[in-house]
Amino acid sequence: MEKKLLMPKLRPEMEKAVLCAWLKEVGDEIKSGEPVYEIETDKVVTQVESSYDGVLKSKLYEEGDTVDVLLPVALVEEKQEAV
Amino acid sequence: MIEKKPDWLKVRYNQEAIDEVAELMRDLNLNTVCKEANCPNLGECYRKHTATFMILGSICTRNCRFCNVCCGRPMPPNPQEPENVAKAVKHLHLKHVVLTCSTRDDLPDGGARQFANTVNAIRELCPHTTVETLISDMKGDRNSLDIVLEVKPDVLNHNVETVKELQKEIRPQAGYESSLGVLRYCKDKAPEMRVKTGFMVGLGETEEQINVLLDDVLDTGCDILTIGQYLQPTPAHYPVARYATPEDFARYKEIALAKGFKHVASAPLARSSYRAWEALEDIHDLY
Repeated sequence: MEKKLLMPKLRPEMEKAVLCAWLKEVGDEIKSGEPVYEIETDKVVTQVESSYDGVLKSKLYEEGDTVDVLLPVALVEEKQEAV
Repeated sequence: MIEKKPDWLKVRYNQEAIDEVAELMRDLNLNTVCKEANCPNLGECYRKHTATFMILGSICTRNCRFCNVCCGRPMPPNPQEPENVAKAVKHLHLKHVVLTCSTRDDLPDGGARQFANTVNAIRELCPHTTVETLISDMKGDRNSLDIVLEVKPDVLNHNVETVKELQKEIRPQAGYESSLGVLRYCKDKAPEMRVKTGFMVGLGETEEQINVLLDDVLDTGCDILTIGQYLQPTPAHYPVARYATPEDFARYKEIALAKGFKHVASAPLARSSYRAWEALEDIHDLY
């Protein structure tokens, strides 16, 4: 199943953030808890982790793009559990 | 335009991992300084099921130029807050809890009674949890400080924030001597209590000014010290003058320990309540 990784809203007044680096390539396997991309905020660089096990299916933005909070940044094809 | 951050200022964030703590705080109508001050360690602390509670509301009566907490006219203290903090401490199974506050110059006791009530509520519900009170200067009022000291917090923490020369610029409604006075008074009144303070680097201070600060703070009887990088919360706040390197922080730690501090947490992302239990465990045998 396809899952969306969202631009997080790190604080109430945050409206957007700059996606400064991708840490995974399309087709890479991702484990839940692994960082997928970095965003630059006022205080620090934040590495945003995946909440899913799967494969990075697509990047929806380029490095340097400014992205509104809560918009999808990447799509992950979630790994299906064997029945 | 945001200036590029050095490599050592990176943190991890996972929305799902912080949801439980965030929801608990919402449900109990509680504030954390992690959220209000936009702390870079929020992701790590919430993930580990810990937080620093900010009592007395999220609105501060002071307007310090380094701080992200909103300034304005605060609400009266919430009488349910002490019990709700205790419930959250129990839910999170905290072995050590840090309570801080918005500065409340509008209250005659500076919020001291709410601190005392919260410490008592935690002790009643979680008798094995140690409590650290990270207080404002309470205008240096000894009656207010006595109210906090009477409940014997395990750690009394009050930050000097910066060197003497930058106080007026950074925290105009507070002061260096006043903060040193708070530390000295608390240690004199309760010598068995651990007293702690912290300051930021990167605001434009010199090495010599840091050295004087260390001597001045140590002279108050202070036991525990935290040193962290100042990070500008928004472009409207005081600008960062420099990013000290991890090697700089290691050097500050070495100097402070050599001068006589019992525990020093010094790192770019060290904050006054970050991993606070480690300091208490580290110096436990010294008392």
